[in-house]
Amino acid sequence: MGDLLFAIGLVALLFILLGAGMWIAFALIIVGAVAMIGTGAPVGQVMATTIWGSAASWTLTALPLFIWMGEILFRSRLAEYLFKGLAPWMGRLPGQLLHVNVIGSGIFAAFSGSSAATCATIGKMTIPELTRRGYPDGIVIGSIAGAGTLGLLIPPSISMIVYGVAAEVSIAKLFIAGLLPGLLLMTLFSLYVAGWALVTGHLPKEQTTSPLIERLKSSRHMAPVLLLILIVIGSMYGGFATATEAAAVGVAGALILSFLSGTLTWRSFSDALVAAMLTSTMIAFILAGAAFLTAAMAFTGLPRLLVAWIGTLGLSPYALLAALTVLFIVLGCFIDGVSMIVLTTAVLLPVVQAAGIDLLWFGIYMVIVVEVSMITPPVGFNLFVLQGMTGRDIGYVARVTLPFFFIIVATIAILAAFPQIVHFLPSQMAN
Amino acid sequence: MLRAFLDRLYAVSGVLATICLGLIGALVLAQIIGRQLGVIVPSADDFAGYAMAASAFLGLAYAFRRGAHIRVTLLLGRYPPGWRRVMELALLVIATATSAYLAWHLTMLTWESFVFDDRAMGIVPTPLWIPQSVMALGAMVMVVACVDELAAALRGRMPGYAAAEAEETAATIGQREG
Repeated sequence: MGDLLFAIGLVALLFILLGAGMWIAFALIIVGAVAMIGTGAPVGQVMATTIWGSAASWTLTALPLFIWMGEILFRSRLAEYLFKGLAPWMGRLPGQLLHVNVIGSGIFAAFSGSSAATCATIGKMTIPELTRRGYPDGIVIGSIAGAGTLGLLIPPSISMIVYGVAAEVSIAKLFIAGLLPGLLLMTLFSLYVAGWALVTGHLPKEQTTSPLIERLKSSRHMAPVLLLILIVIGSMYGGFATATEAAAVGVAGALILSFLSGTLTWRSFSDALVAAMLTSTMIAFILAGAAFLTAAMAFTGLPRLLVAWIGTLGLSPYALLAALTVLFIVLGCFIDGVSMIVLTTAVLLPVVQAAGIDLLWFGIYMVIVVEVSMITPPVGFNLFVLQGMTGRDIGYVARVTLPFFFIIVATIAILAAFPQIVHFLPSQMAN
Repeated sequence: MLRAFLDRLYAVSGVLATICLGLIGALVLAQIIGRQLGVIVPSADDFAGYAMAASAFLGLAYAFRRGAHIRVTLLLGRYPPGWRRVMELALLVIATATSAYLAWHLTMLTWESFVFDDRAMGIVPTPLWIPQSVMALGAMVMVVACVDELAAALRGRMPGYAAAEAEETAATIGQREG
């Protein structure tokens, strides 16, 4: 009984701190310290050792490097090349240029680990263009908000690095495992857009039947970008490189591409590096706080009690996942994805393991659930970005994004029913 | 005078953090290229890890001032100004205490590593107090930044991070034009 009250007290403390606007890393550290008070363990010493161990980590170095790579490409003309390169190929598909949103986001996601950045970059390019051509606002905004979430699932992904570091799962494996689910999600988005176009017939007619040569010509700028994706992902898949090494190669490649396209200046170089430092410091500090909270939780023994309690409920893994999905979607309305991932690994991972759920699969699941949280109001970053870009109110943006929300939830169900989609590629990886 | 010194302090530690990030990239690339040429960069993994810790902690204060550390501002933004000021003050007091506690114990960790001469396990037996002291230093600068913001809030000014957060919101909305 005392344990239960204590646990409820800790959860309440956490939510009060977060809700009041405490910086997330500090909130994690405070809850960890309070949790340890009764255990008699040296709080400060445990804090210093776990935080040092979490920060001085070779695995974690993949984080700033991938963020840096994304920041460099973000400042190059990548998005423009993508739009110009993809658009001529989409004219004949039902849904036409709307597929540029989906496929462009998917490709951009292969460089940027961030959903909001994907959404903002692709949106800035396509929204004015599609609106000018007379595409209805609702489907344009919805498809960008939905497809922007691919940034989390298609490697490299910041969320996956955070999960991999916090749950001690191989980051390279997580990246490779995310490929097929990412492609599946892209296919479903595209099918929905095509179906929507066929049923409503609300799209303007595109007069694009330019000859193959013309189309290839306008796509030529995309080639180096696609090559870089292949090198980065292929080197991990082939076992030539760890996630960190692939990231360093990605940084070098991004610098070369940006030099060749004439966007590499001292200014853009240092801007990208500083921006990467800011994001990486912020996430590393949250991870440090989470490492301490995880250690503190182990001292209290609460996760063990939680495992025992959930064991008595006799839930099947599917029922547990369904319950967790609802919990995460609700949580996602209030806190951001990174915090959600580190809180889950600190508190719930033993429960997940005890239920016999594979940690690699759970990582992919977690990332997709976080995607959902990106498009649920009131705290959905993609919704904010599009609200800012289009000037529509958040309610409208959320409403037109709703079909994409359901597609992502359906994808979770498909992955639960067919876990092979996650496991197939990693099982083929060379070591 | 003091203002200029403090801003210089955050900027210098921010620049050092950025350089450390660049160093990580250089180290990892050197390791990859070295491997092709049959040269081993000794303890590159360890050094990349130290650079990571240094970058993360030296960047703390600068990122804090720039409003880069995330938090939930949903409720904060809805309070009337007077209440908001009280809340920010309370948050800053707790943040200052927490960062001071952290900085103190990171310093103690460094001191113990120095006294017991703890060394890295790898090829290069780096004394651990060296990278740890950089981390402790970054944490101390963070304490200074917290006190600085607390002082600003006490005098009724808008803390630097809050101004940066507001600016960012404005910038996002401003993208409408672009």
